[in-house]
Amino acid sequence: MSVQYTPVLWNRNKLVYDAVLLIAVALYLYVFIRYAPAFEDVTKPIDGATLRMRAFGSCAFLMLTVILCIGPLARLDRRFLPLLYNRRHFGVLTAGIAAVHANYVLGWYYNFSPTDKYVALLSSNTSYGQILGFPFEALGIGALLILFVLAATSHDFWLSFLGAPLWKALHMSIYIAYAFVVLHVALGALQGPGDPILTSLVTASVVLVCGLHFATGRMEAARERGEATAKASLQNAGWVVAGEVDEIDEDCAKVVTLDDDERVAIFKYDGKLSAITNACAHQNGPLGEGKVLWGCITCPWHGYQYNLADGRAPEPFTEKISTYRLKLIGSTVLLDPKALPPGTHVEPVRLGEGA
Amino acid sequence: MSWKQTKDAPFFVGYLNAVPKPLAVFALVFSLCFVGGMGLAALALSSTQNDPGNGGFQWGNRFEQAGMLELRPYPVFRVPGDEESGPRTYMLSGQGKRGVFGQAEANAGTPVTLRGVPVNRGDLTMIQVGNVEATEDGAGNFTPSDAVPLGRWKLAGEICDGKCYAGAMRPGQGLAHKACADLCITGGIPPVFVSTGPVEGRSFFLMADKDGNLLGDEIQGLLALYIEVEGDVERLDDLLVFKADLSTARILK
Repeated sequence: MSVQYTPVLWNRNKLVYDAVLLIAVALYLYVFIRYAPAFEDVTKPIDGATLRMRAFGSCAFLMLTVILCIGPLARLDRRFLPLLYNRRHFGVLTAGIAAVHANYVLGWYYNFSPTDKYVALLSSNTSYGQILGFPFEALGIGALLILFVLAATSHDFWLSFLGAPLWKALHMSIYIAYAFVVLHVALGALQGPGDPILTSLVTASVVLVCGLHFATGRMEAARERGEATAKASLQNAGWVVAGEVDEIDEDCAKVVTLDDDERVAIFKYDGKLSAITNACAHQNGPLGEGKVLWGCITCPWHGYQYNLADGRAPEPFTEKISTYRLKLIGSTVLLDPKALPPGTHVEPVRLGEGA
Repeated sequence: MSWKQTKDAPFFVGYLNAVPKPLAVFALVFSLCFVGGMGLAALALSSTQNDPGNGGFQWGNRFEQAGMLELRPYPVFRVPGDEESGPRTYMLSGQGKRGVFGQAEANAGTPVTLRGVPVNRGDLTMIQVGNVEATEDGAGNFTPSDAVPLGRWKLAGEICDGKCYAGAMRPGQGLAHKACADLCITGGIPPVFVSTGPVEGRSFFLMADKDGNLLGDEIQGLLALYIEVEGDVERLDDLLVFKADLSTARILK
């Protein structure tokens, strides 16, 4: 997918990303289990098993919160975009931490019994008809299963195998997992004696995740409203006015939203203009927020690249995206809103020709 | 308003090691905030955990006494008094989440020596039974007193499993512990009622149904909730038994 043919292996960026992640998690667990208990105001130290399950459970919850914040943060401020790279490492580690939490719970609360611990987990509380006393464990199991499936299918092999639409839809279930986790905590740990710190953290997490998604949604809606010129401007035999040439920076794009909410990125480079769909074939990343590097459009999410004239990834890669026809009248760029089949060559518009 | 990338904006490509300096600085600041934030969150959450009480196994104070086993309706062990204290009645459990119905039924009415480990929280004591043997010890050969009725009471509190609440698995109460409590009680651990108001100075009651029989699945919907329930209370030596009439139970919160 990259014209540089750089092997995407364990490069320095990935190592730094993973190192920061592991340091944060190790510090959290060390402080929770070993350091902070010395400051507890309790009549007798909390049991090790209880401490560990609380440490891993709360760690997984906070990690999931950060994961869900990265997406909208990167939309609101492009300096967060590097955090999107390797986000799957974050997700896989979160699933692992959550699994350790579940394992401690199984080995403590559901152990030492004549009933098998897995049977006990599902059968010892079946009060599904009530809110207070609802088997919140089931919600945790549901979240854990989703996290496992997402972790197992996070590799690009599965993206290619399942196809981008199905893979994307599958991975949107992270929001269901988050809802399950919030309910798991709200109907479980938060129902104990008042714990203002835990209550505050859970509330702040929910407000942060919802607030950032809401803010991003508003920003996207505002962008689409701003594209009224492209939707309702002077029509010229089916063409729409996409804006002025001067609005586009060299090696960058302007994104135009069409009537059917399809977005088109119009790139300016080497005195030429080309238009392609805004959605990357990899994970639907916003190509128009990327740049032209080494003569190729480069996705800001994971660096996938495409040739400008035909929307094809440089050989031997096979990804293809839709292209669009453009024409120039004076300094005004006109766009044919009909998408061409992915990989269709379109001769770039040369600047100056239409003047 | 349309979305525009700008020529001068730094652009990160993950498979290249060269990170534009402004983004590297930003990522470093974010990393420090992330790591520091996680550390602070751990400190805040861990150091302010609620007190689970001082209950626990009394490993250094092993129990060995001669007395009589009875089913009231859960197994209890009754020992005669001595110069220091009057007769006592202990609730019993087996290893882990198991009761001791088998041993109690097999040895009911005959003097035995019982060895085990006390699990204690305040005036709630449960003996985790290790070994029961018939005894010739004269101390075990006595006639326990009858239960003394203390009248009908309306109590507010929580149904817990007696062993976890006594300290086997602290805190051993509350909705977060509901499934474990259900598992313990199903396994034969005696349920106890932890009352917010005392009767004769005691707040823990061995539970039975209103006729003095074993409680069944009918307590599942009430377990670990803060409830109000009426029933007859009777005293077995130093242990109070609450014969709860669950038809009067009301969930308070």
